[in-house]
Amino acid sequence: MEPLELCYMSAGELSRHIRDRQVSPVEIIDAHLARIEATEPTLNSFITLLPDHAREAARRAEAQIQAGNYRGPLHGIPVGLKDLFNTAGVRTTSGSRVLDNFIPTEDCTVAARFQQAGAILLGKLNMHQFAYGPTGENFDYGHMHNPWNPEMVTGGSSGGSGSAAAAGQCTITMGSDTGGSVRIPAALCGIVGLKPTYGLVSRAGLTPLSWRLDHPGPMVRTVEDAAITMNAIAGHDPADPATTTRTVPDYTAALTGSVEGLRIGIVKEYFEAPLDSEVETAVRAAIAQMSELGATVTEVSLPMFADAQAISGTILMSEAAAYHRDLLAKDGDKLTPSVRLRLEAGLFVTAADYLKAQQARARFNYEMSQLFQEVDLLAGPSEPITAPPILATEVPIGGRTVGTVGALTQYTRPYNISGTPAISVPCGFSQAGMPMGLQLAGRAFEDATVLRAAHAYEQSTGWHLQRPPV
Amino acid sequence: MDSGSAIDRQAFDFLARAAGLNVDDPHMEELFPYVQNALAANEGLRNIDTSGFEPEASFDPAHFYQG
Repeated sequence: MEPLELCYMSAGELSRHIRDRQVSPVEIIDAHLARIEATEPTLNSFITLLPDHAREAARRAEAQIQAGNYRGPLHGIPVGLKDLFNTAGVRTTSGSRVLDNFIPTEDCTVAARFQQAGAILLGKLNMHQFAYGPTGENFDYGHMHNPWNPEMVTGGSSGGSGSAAAAGQCTITMGSDTGGSVRIPAALCGIVGLKPTYGLVSRAGLTPLSWRLDHPGPMVRTVEDAAITMNAIAGHDPADPATTTRTVPDYTAALTGSVEGLRIGIVKEYFEAPLDSEVETAVRAAIAQMSELGATVTEVSLPMFADAQAISGTILMSEAAAYHRDLLAKDGDKLTPSVRLRLEAGLFVTAADYLKAQQARARFNYEMSQLFQEVDLLAGPSEPITAPPILATEVPIGGRTVGTVGALTQYTRPYNISGTPAISVPCGFSQAGMPMGLQLAGRAFEDATVLRAAHAYEQSTGWHLQRPPV
Repeated sequence: MDSGSAIDRQAFDFLARAAGLNVDDPHMEELFPYVQNALAANEGLRNIDTSGFEPEASFDPAHFYQG
């Protein structure tokens, strides 16, 4: 098989070829390393690349498979982890030179589960420093570049994960999502990003940004790959007290290709917020397509959408400052200035306001739970815009100029507050050739329903088959 | 203590000192307006009617979504 074809195959396709011994993990890893060499440093997706480790692991996997010890759909599949997932013996910087020499002694739970499943770690992926920013700009390791136009941001904070998956550098990447950091780069880079239900995927061994808002999640090119990844990483972890003890279903079994009988709510407030007309057209067309596929679509209202920024902003600022307080005292002057300011500002939020935000969160979640009595899923744009230029602090939307950070997080933050599953799935391209994303959200622990609907939509389109020009 | 947009320099210095920041650092001239803007952006929080809702000390999304 052509090396580039191997790089753009999904994990589902690759795994079937590996299982049937039509292709070896060694071929797959070699193809991806060549792809990385051809596209770096243009994209700058990686902070640390592990070619020797990956080749050795591929040879081991090949021997195991030839001996009849095939472990399942992730065996021999190339994976990249955002550089805040601890990896034993491999430096984990969280996107900051302050941690340039930090080498964990233990794998985070997600890395350990990938390893148990036989996946092969290709490297550690670039990110917004300490995950505190939605653009994918990094002044310590260089900015991430969008594969569809390298002058544009990838989105963040998991920007390297977005560009690596979109450009065929990795088959599966992982990000973490506190205010949208999986779904933002997924939408802007034209891939699938799933923020699972809070408590479904372990946070143990990840550098926190906000304990009550952080969600690790897969960033991949197909919904099936998101389901395959979830089958490997979801479930209880004694090292993360927030993880559920519920039985985790087989997420691939949910991919029936049908949305028949599903009730989808369009949140009217999403379309009253600043929204680019090209994105609105694409998202409305995607929702209409889901209706044609058999879903029932109705308009619903979430009045507290307007409060999402204040609620999540207050919780995020407080918790990020609390976690990074010692770092600020010791190395504050070594941080990227904008990240330092964001972290320090959290020191000025009072305990009373933090608790008020947690009260408001309870009310917000009650309101959303009422919506989920009426519908099974909520649909809307993942992002109000396509990827803006690198270092743009403001963006024009429909004749208005708005702050980039607020714009990029406006549709994603609500589901960090609710902790409910939300996915971004590609739904088209702008006239300038930049990708756009449809966001679908469901009830807590009904991630399978979210995946089912996203898969049915994806399979009725060809957006996920497009390749970036890089 | 008001941590809304009305935070003035005196309150800022008081809180900065309490947080262990060096209020004589020239960086404070950059931080002060940033904090004013950041707190103002979240000011709407105070207007949310939260009567009847307790703060979520331990977050469990399933609590709200039992079918």
